[in-house]
Amino acid sequence: MKNPATFAEKLQTCPKWALYLLLITVTSLPLWVPLNVPNKPKQDAMDFYEAIWKIPEGKTVLIASDWTKSTRGESEGSFSALVRILMRRNLKFAVYSTGDPQAPEVARNVVAKVNRERRAAGEREYKRFEDWLSLPFFANSEGTTGGIGNNIRAILGNAKDAAEGQAPASVLNSPVLKDVQKVQDLGLLVNVTASKTADIIVERLYGKVPLAFMVTGVMVPETSNYYASGQIKGLVGGLKGVYDLEQLMQYGINWQGPDGKTMVKSDRNGEVPGFAVDKKFLIGNGTMYYPALHGAVTLLILAVVVGNIGMFLGRKGGK
Amino acid sequence: MIPFAQIRTDFWTDLPGSSSANLKIIVGLLVGIGVIFALLRMSTQFRRPLIVGSTFIAGLYYILLWLWPKPIDRDPGEVATNPVEGLGFWLEDANPAVSQVRNIIAAFLIGLGVYSLLRIHVGKIAKQQKDWGFSLVLLVSMFGMAGVGFADWASRQGPEGAKLDNQANWGAINYVQDFLFDGLLQQMDAAMFSLIAFYILSAAYRAFRARSVEATILLGTAMILMLSLLGGISYLSDQAIEKMGGTDPNAFINNFRLTELAGWIQNSVQVASIRGLQFGIGIGLLALALRLWLSLEKMGNA
Repeated sequence: MKNPATFAEKLQTCPKWALYLLLITVTSLPLWVPLNVPNKPKQDAMDFYEAIWKIPEGKTVLIASDWTKSTRGESEGSFSALVRILMRRNLKFAVYSTGDPQAPEVARNVVAKVNRERRAAGEREYKRFEDWLSLPFFANSEGTTGGIGNNIRAILGNAKDAAEGQAPASVLNSPVLKDVQKVQDLGLLVNVTASKTADIIVERLYGKVPLAFMVTGVMVPETSNYYASGQIKGLVGGLKGVYDLEQLMQYGINWQGPDGKTMVKSDRNGEVPGFAVDKKFLIGNGTMYYPALHGAVTLLILAVVVGNIGMFLGRKGGK
Repeated sequence: MIPFAQIRTDFWTDLPGSSSANLKIIVGLLVGIGVIFALLRMSTQFRRPLIVGSTFIAGLYYILLWLWPKPIDRDPGEVATNPVEGLGFWLEDANPAVSQVRNIIAAFLIGLGVYSLLRIHVGKIAKQQKDWGFSLVLLVSMFGMAGVGFADWASRQGPEGAKLDNQANWGAINYVQDFLFDGLLQQMDAAMFSLIAFYILSAAYRAFRARSVEATILLGTAMILMLSLLGGISYLSDQAIEKMGGTDPNAFINNFRLTELAGWIQNSVQVASIRGLQFGIGIGLLALALRLWLSLEKMGNA
């Protein structure tokens, strides 16, 4: 007859289905109850937020949107937070992609969603062609990025977009790009990415235009390299970065909110205002998913701890 | 400054639709077809020098673009005053055209992929080989998605196209496209990616053990970084340590705040390691690029 499993063995042999069930539970439950988790924004996210607020009035922001729904948990939150801040600042922006053919449509859908929010809040909608441009997917990332650095108007010149009620026209005729003769005329280039396009952009555009990145959690280690060296102005990394950014949108940096409190303080940043808008429009993906990340990471830590305790007990022969 | 909506025109940048641009497209197309036929009929012995030569010239362009002195604050219509400047101007002017050529070549790869899929799966269906039903699903999905995608794109090309950003103005084809793209493809994409979480949890539970000194260091570091991701934990632990440090913001104990520890690991250990790694990769890529550029790689007889 088989000996009954020891306590140590039981600790090390939790069935897969139980682990999976726990994971589904701890990641799903928080989605129904959005919580405002206490948080201390990271310096890289604060620098990112400040970089956007420092863009001079009237400058255009170029967004390299290289993400699709496979990383929507992080990337969609990053992209929508970025679009919200740009719209709040009344800055014009153009979105292009070199990472994935699906990316332009995904980005258009997010801009439409943020516009719906603004309409519901009684704010001005961003008009296509007048306020923002949807540029196409460019199949070759290295060539296109290098070309943008070399002659942005020639690279983007063949692309067309349309204002409502108008036939598609060259994007060079849009007010968004009218003052952009060379890449140096851009206020900022933001790469929202889940792929290697971040490296390509630093290699080809660093020194020509200020850069800032929004990357997925797994890309944070490699991208931190560029932030640490000062090659990018700011970095929003993973879901934590998105949550940081949404908190900054609410509380600003070194800024006294409507209640007279300064919620986020930083010695390295100046005063950057937050938004004083209806809170329901600030529940972005970061706020929505951050408690679920807490659940998942806590479970991961517990699983590792339990597995290791089981191993140590097993070595000692304890029952 | 170049006036609004005007782009510099030269040999490389004809205005789209102009007769000279059309002429160059036709000539380029004919030359391309000619080269392909010539390559097909040529013996392997003569094909190799041609490919080696064109690879070298293509690589040389980018090497020169990188290393040759670049024009600074060049005015439109400015004439080069010496050969060095002239080559710099030429390289700069050619860059958008060369980039577009690269884009077109990359787009051809999609066509090549479609051709390859068709060749394999049409054959499988015709011969009714094992699992030919999956091949049928693949082809129907591919052509269905492409067809609906083109129809949706076409519906957005007229003056009313931008109105379709608002769902209230959608027609049937836009709803079908939305169902296929957002409703199916994107959701399946996200679902596939989310499965990783289950594998990570299972693998961490079974394999992430402190079996040696190195593994223990790795485990400890990972724990600190994972805990720092938990805003609630890092916020509360930082508050507790700051209280222990009293009113002095420079108290030594403040170095042990969770966010400080995680920041030190990321900025001092992780960044340095990744830089070393990337430096090594960079040198390896440089060597590989040189071998490809000079056709030193042995890749068959072609």
